[in-house]
Amino acid sequence: MRLLFQKLLNGVAIGSVYALFALGYTVVFSILRVINFAHGAIFTVGAYITYALTGAAFGKNGQLRNASLPLELNFWLALALGALGAGVLGVLVERLAFKPLRERGSDPLLTLVSSLGVAIATVNILQYLFGAENYSFGETLGSMRASVTLVGGELPVVIRTKQIVIFAVSMVMVVGLTLLINRTRTGKGLRAVAEDLTTARLLGIDTDRLIRLSFFISGVLGGIAGALIGLAGSFNHQFGVAIGLKGLAVIVLGGLGDIPGAVVGGLVIGVAEAFVPAEYNAYKDAVPFVVLLVVLLVRPSGLLGRAQVQKV
Amino acid sequence: MTAALEVDGLTRRFGGVTAVDGISFAVERGEVFGVIGPNGAGKTTLFNLVTGITPPTSGTLVHDGTDITTARPHQVARRGIARTFQNIRLFPELSALENVMIGRHCHTRSGIFSGVLGLGRAGAEEKAVRKRALELLALMGIAGRAEVKARNLPYGDQRRLEIARALALEPQLLLLDEPAAGMNPAEKTALADFMRRLRAEFDLTLLIIEHHVPLVMGLCDRIAVLDFGKMIALGDPETVRRDPAVVEAYLGEEG
Amino acid sequence: MLDFLNSQGTIYVSMVLGAVLGLSLYLPLLAGQLSLASPGFYALGGFVAAVMSTKTFEVKGSFPIHLVLVELVVAAVLCGALAFIVGLAALRLTGIYLALATIAFVEVLRVFTLNLELTGGAVGIFAIPQPFGTQLSYLWLAAPLLIIATLFTWRLEKVRAGRAFAAVREDELAAASMGVDTTRAKITAFVLGGVLAGLAGVIAAHQINTWSHRQASFDASIAYLAFVLIGGSRTFLGPVAGGLVLTYLPEWLREQAKHEFLPAWAAEFLRTGRFIIYGVLLAASCIFFPRGLITPELLRRIKRIGRGGSRPPEQKLRAEPEAVA
Repeated sequence: MRLLFQKLLNGVAIGSVYALFALGYTVVFSILRVINFAHGAIFTVGAYITYALTGAAFGKNGQLRNASLPLELNFWLALALGALGAGVLGVLVERLAFKPLRERGSDPLLTLVSSLGVAIATVNILQYLFGAENYSFGETLGSMRASVTLVGGELPVVIRTKQIVIFAVSMVMVVGLTLLINRTRTGKGLRAVAEDLTTARLLGIDTDRLIRLSFFISGVLGGIAGALIGLAGSFNHQFGVAIGLKGLAVIVLGGLGDIPGAVVGGLVIGVAEAFVPAEYNAYKDAVPFVVLLVVLLVRPSGLLGRAQVQKV
Repeated sequence: MTAALEVDGLTRRFGGVTAVDGISFAVERGEVFGVIGPNGAGKTTLFNLVTGITPPTSGTLVHDGTDITTARPHQVARRGIARTFQNIRLFPELSALENVMIGRHCHTRSGIFSGVLGLGRAGAEEKAVRKRALELLALMGIAGRAEVKARNLPYGDQRRLEIARALALEPQLLLLDEPAAGMNPAEKTALADFMRRLRAEFDLTLLIIEHHVPLVMGLCDRIAVLDFGKMIALGDPETVRRDPAVVEAYLGEEG
Repeated sequence: MLDFLNSQGTIYVSMVLGAVLGLSLYLPLLAGQLSLASPGFYALGGFVAAVMSTKTFEVKGSFPIHLVLVELVVAAVLCGALAFIVGLAALRLTGIYLALATIAFVEVLRVFTLNLELTGGAVGIFAIPQPFGTQLSYLWLAAPLLIIATLFTWRLEKVRAGRAFAAVREDELAAASMGVDTTRAKITAFVLGGVLAGLAGVIAAHQINTWSHRQASFDASIAYLAFVLIGGSRTFLGPVAGGLVLTYLPEWLREQAKHEFLPAWAAEFLRTGRFIIYGVLLAASCIFFPRGLITPELLRRIKRIGRGGSRPPEQKLRAEPEAVA
């Protein structure tokens, strides 16, 4: 029973970050109906920026070996700025890889591949500059306890402070995003564009600006998620790709373009991974993909999504 | 004589909406049968039901004595039922010739390997298909555009191409969904003449959805009028024109 | 001279296999299916060769060619069967959903082979017997495969079956309404691609001498996608050229890195930055050359120049939106 509870806690903690990351996809998909494959790369860059801003040095390989910035920011400040940087990168990606194709009315698959190209280039530029090493954040908790024991005794149920922090930050961002979408004028604009881009434009809504904004938000979410996952363990130039693919499983499970769906999907996959028995640990990586396959074959619209109706 | 097409109690529901509601009629062989009604009356849905694109919620479809209620689109096509689409569905990147050649698909048999290796029948079949396709293009007056990509053709030629492709199927029953859309009055008259010739030359039964009421009145032997998924009238043009229900529902607006 | 050819032998064989793998993605694409599943079948084919040659056949010394042929047949059957199942399961999926499903398939297959004893687990299978003494000799297997695959695809597009694929790609609903069995078309195209990738895997396993789960990678999917999208997605020559050139590209870059005048950072970029270049090329290709570099129009123009004549260009009567396939 305790073991179950512990696993549940672990699953929810990591699941909340998956949800946060997946929301980045969702925001863009709900507006443009395309998957921004560069999201995983932006997420990685966010982690790297945060790392650099904390003044830490980059490793022994790569062009910028041993380099470090001449400042040493507190982790949270670095996180915030890193997220902003990621947001800006998101807008840049939109300008470069998405806008030209959108203006020509191209197939969404083409846009997807274009963003994939950007992702590959970005991730490998990171490797070129910073090497293939793993990086992790140093002491970020300060004087806080490393973990909290929820249930004592022989088999304690422990929650690490990092996990609480990660969960809290993720949930704050999710709530913030929901409030933005549902309670603000900007959010209304976003929803209008998501509903029907052409009509929104005809109604005088500045769709270009809102599209840029959605990519910015997507980048910010990704950047924060990147730093948080880096906080939980370590990160390198490749981890965005793996998480990127995982994130796809999350949004397909929850329903493409559905915000609550992304949250539900993230938590489900996080928990599912946590519940993989220890003997099958090697198969853990396959869990999101098995989920993805099953969902696509059984109910492509996902748990909360709406089925697409084809008009003849 | 067996009817070409028998529709019995055909119904199709989409969630809360009943697009087609208990429609029954029989189309006689060689007839020109019109289907008219206001927008959203269920006309195209009816065509989709007949051609197997949409499965009916209830009711039956019988073609030439055989039940085709659950038949899938390619099976319906193989039985000799061809159609054109309201919004033109050609194969945009393929040439006009290739578009028509695909209409010959179910009348040819060569598989992948016999085709690729050019064995036996395959070569001769290929030549025959090409020849027939060119003939049909010529019939529709667009032989000169044979190598042009379908998406580069002007609207009128695209409509003609769609008919050529449908004819390549060697259908007994041809369903035309708003064939006169986008045509001026002169073109519509020409179209009506053309339909009559088609019916005679190819021994066809025609089922036509049309908005332009005078065209339908002049051309069709019988007309079914749909409104909100239900059939509110069925009969020859004169009878239908005078039917009060029809006048109220539809003929009040100038078609 | 012979030494030089031999040291280059590996890359030539890889180029030829790259072209084959490009075609393995092109075939499902003919029927409108963007499938990233080829690495899965490639890996499976390689494992068939690896397992059979190390465990099933007891061979001392040089590995006989006829056994390689046996492996090719077995791989074709297995990959064909698996492709049939996957193709059937993924029938209702289109576009992005299909692409995602094939990505997931490859990853699941990879994790499977990672944990299976038969396939050597994390380490994989090594010391795979070699039928040839030199790398270049593998062209005796790879080149015929490429030639046959290319001729097959070329002919396929001209005949009934290929037209049916194209019709399904252009408008599945209309194709069905015209009598094309779209299910059969899609599955057939998918199986053809899977079998081709599997055959390439058999040859590669012997050539590279070791094989592991790492052969079923997402990176490989991207590479083959690049071959087709950059090379040309509208003609069979596109993936062939794409496969040949893009496989050679990293080699060529590495050679350029040896130039004396280059600063250290530039040389390093040329050596290790090939994926950066792939990525940029891929994105640029989507934006500037959506149909790839080799297009049917380009080929027509070349033919016309060859004939010395000139015909007026085809009349464009309306604006054209772009599509992937």
